[in-house]
Amino acid sequence: MFRFQSLDEDCTLEEEDDGLIEEEDEIDQFNDDTFGAGAIDDDWQEEHKRLAGLDKKDELTAGDDESADPRSPLDNRLSLPPLGFSSSSALQSGDVEDKVSEGGLAESLARLILEADPAVAGVGAAERPAVPSPGSTSVFPSLHGLLSQSTSVQQQQQRLSSVAPPPAPMLSYQQQQHLLRRGTAPIGQMNSHSIWENSLGFGPVSVPPGLVTHMEDSPLMSIIKEVGLPKRPPRSDEGPDLSERVPPPRSSSPVIGSPPVRAVPIGTPPKQPMSHTLNHQIHHPTAVHVRAPVQHRFPAPFPERLSPNTLLNIANSPLCRSPFPPRVGPVLSQIQRAQLLNSQVAGFPRGAPGLLPGGGGFRPFFGGHPPPHAHRMVPPPPLGPPNHTPIRHNTTILHPQHRRLLSQRLLSRGGDQSRPGLDRRSRDPYSNLMTPKEKDWVTKIQMMQLQSTDPYLDDYYYQNYYEKMEKRQEGERDSSSRKEHTTKLITPQVAKVEHTYRPVQFAGSLGKLTVSSVNNPRKMIDAVVTSRTDDEEKREKQVWNKRRQILYTVEKMYSLLLEVQDFEKRFLQVPEEERQTLLEQHKANTEQLCSALREKEWDNRVSDEQCVMIMSVRKGKRLVSRLLPFLSTPLANAVVMAIARNFPTLAKKDKQDQVLFWLVEPVSSVIQSLSSSLLTDLLQELQGSEGQLSSVLHNKFGVTLLYLILSEGERMQSSDPNCQLMDDNRWTELVFSVTRELLSVPASSLAPPLFTPPNLLSLFSRYVDRQRLELLQDKLQISALSR
Amino acid sequence: MLMLMCVCVRLQLFYSFFKSLVGKDVVVELKNDLSICGTLHSVDQYLNIKLTDISVTDPEKYPHMLSVKNCFIRGSVVRYVQLPADEVDTQLLQDAARKEAMQQKQ
Repeated sequence: MFRFQSLDEDCTLEEEDDGLIEEEDEIDQFNDDTFGAGAIDDDWQEEHKRLAGLDKKDELTAGDDESADPRSPLDNRLSLPPLGFSSSSALQSGDVEDKVSEGGLAESLARLILEADPAVAGVGAAERPAVPSPGSTSVFPSLHGLLSQSTSVQQQQQRLSSVAPPPAPMLSYQQQQHLLRRGTAPIGQMNSHSIWENSLGFGPVSVPPGLVTHMEDSPLMSIIKEVGLPKRPPRSDEGPDLSERVPPPRSSSPVIGSPPVRAVPIGTPPKQPMSHTLNHQIHHPTAVHVRAPVQHRFPAPFPERLSPNTLLNIANSPLCRSPFPPRVGPVLSQIQRAQLLNSQVAGFPRGAPGLLPGGGGFRPFFGGHPPPHAHRMVPPPPLGPPNHTPIRHNTTILHPQHRRLLSQRLLSRGGDQSRPGLDRRSRDPYSNLMTPKEKDWVTKIQMMQLQSTDPYLDDYYYQNYYEKMEKRQEGERDSSSRKEHTTKLITPQVAKVEHTYRPVQFAGSLGKLTVSSVNNPRKMIDAVVTSRTDDEEKREKQVWNKRRQILYTVEKMYSLLLEVQDFEKRFLQVPEEERQTLLEQHKANTEQLCSALREKEWDNRVSDEQCVMIMSVRKGKRLVSRLLPFLSTPLANAVVMAIARNFPTLAKKDKQDQVLFWLVEPVSSVIQSLSSSLLTDLLQELQGSEGQLSSVLHNKFGVTLLYLILSEGERMQSSDPNCQLMDDNRWTELVFSVTRELLSVPASSLAPPLFTPPNLLSLFSRYVDRQRLELLQDKLQISALSR
Repeated sequence: MLMLMCVCVRLQLFYSFFKSLVGKDVVVELKNDLSICGTLHSVDQYLNIKLTDISVTDPEKYPHMLSVKNCFIRGSVVRYVQLPADEVDTQLLQDAARKEAMQQKQ
């Protein structure tokens, strides 16, 4: 053992080689050259046999100090003599193979792996301070140091099992040995052994039984048992640089031509939690946090934990039950859930409170995590016992109205469904496969694609739909009990950032450099967008087809109309400076709309023909109905006049669609704003030429229109005694003719109106005698109650 | 960033539309002729659909679907989605389509 004190490493190795030559039949010189003189020369098959058979051997004692560590072969020699009495079976033969300790290969391999893997190194490092020191002597700290540096727990196990109470003298001797090797005890030879102090590995450490039992306690130890404890990185060093595990930032392409880049590109997966903890460790050497990530890192090696598949088979398909039962339960915090899950995992209840500190309310089911700056949904009201999994609809941000509807629906449905087993749900086999960080990362990427600069425009349908629904519900509800606030959907808005890409150019060079990165992909085709003017388009499209032309006109008008409709909303949103331009644009739009109604550009009158043309198409009718409120009064009046005038044509064209009733509402509002003379004119127009009235009466819309006019007249008369309606006889005459027609028309052919204004009876009572009044009453089914 | 935004270079019309139908009962017919009836649970920008409480309209033909309660359907395999008519505002849909067309032109 003391042979090599004074010699440097090279010499000792050579010497060892020489010493080994006699025992070895052949020297694998190539092996030596490749791996250095410290390479293991033994036959791997033999090694494997021995290692495999190690489980059965329980004669091994703590004396398995020898190790076949390739890096410090001297340990073999070092520990040989003292092992003479300690290990029974290990040193039967003087073979090299036996010199190599049973667990040596495993240990060295373990060391190799563990040191390379900073995650596990972190574990080992964590373990070290976590492991309490049972003793108070100074021996134990060093022991612990040794323990963490290189230990094959297997050996510990064997040690335990074989030597139940390790012989005291042996133990103490081993302790001494380690002391010597560590150089902590003030023995003379200590200085010479300082070269081993930081050596990467050597024999196992005698572990006081109490320590081992404690270690066996945690499932962490199961890893360690399998794999061995890694070397603890020395305190003074910087921890292994884990940032190398993170892929390099995406835009590692040359700065030339690339737009400015974030610090952490999108594609970077989340840093392993180990790195964070390791950093923490260095700054704040508390080990509490470290357990948490480990839980996620090693779900598989746990022998107790079944794979999802086996769990499935065993537990009779826990997927039978719905993973998102329609019951809206309370928000199960992630910590609670983790605790539930962890209680299933054997032997690790302590770790639960420390687990998963982030993402309160995040549930590991379908769907994404709403972006943090979004308008957060209020969690649905708790319904059942706390273990219920709430249904997740918040993949996107829901309009409050929508949310309300959904929760109502769930409420109604939840009562019917039977509650599946609680325990099965809590033992979700697919949980814990990803850390919350990773989940967040994935959902962040998904949600980022949904961020919009103008949510109103991008999400047009959804937002408007629910707005309309709100209005509808408000309308249905009692106006007295109106909601104090109309729920409004607040969506996250991303500022529009313009990334103009300017291709890099060097002065004096010819052409552009083709430097492309992910942020500025290269142009594939140099296409120029040429938009044809409307006239050309008109010419090209089948102009001879009148219908198509009409449709085309209608569509153009529609786009203008939509702009006009949105004007108000946008006006409010837009900042002060831009309001003027918006206003001007609005005016232009309106102007265009109006001009579309006119036949010729310079003619100020609304063209009848144009109107009729537009309204011959179903779409056009809808357009007009929506357009009317936006038109100026004279224009609107003109349009209504045109409708009345050309009623028969319209009625004929509408035979198939039967959608004239769309016009009722806007027309009625127009009528109500008409002056008396205009009203009279309107009535006249409606009556028009001979026989028009009968066709009017045959048509539902016509009848409605008529009634509207009449009722308006009546209202005028009754409200304002000096209204000019009666100034000339026109009104009276017209009404007379109407009543005459009404009476003469057979009841069957009289179309029922959409609604009957209440004051018609009073109107008729002015003009007709009692008998006729009663007849009219019967015919038109005007109830006397309306009086 | 550019690549990620390509999906949403404004084909959000149907996404918006389906969002408003979340919670309603629909029948999804796939390109392989399988028809699945269920409640629309969620939809994403690719028009992938998640249905809950599903039932196959022709159970005898697809017995393997008997035990399935919830499913995720990739958007590209959908042929039709049958909707309740009263949940759709056709006028609004037309307007949205017009707006989208306008946007596309710009």
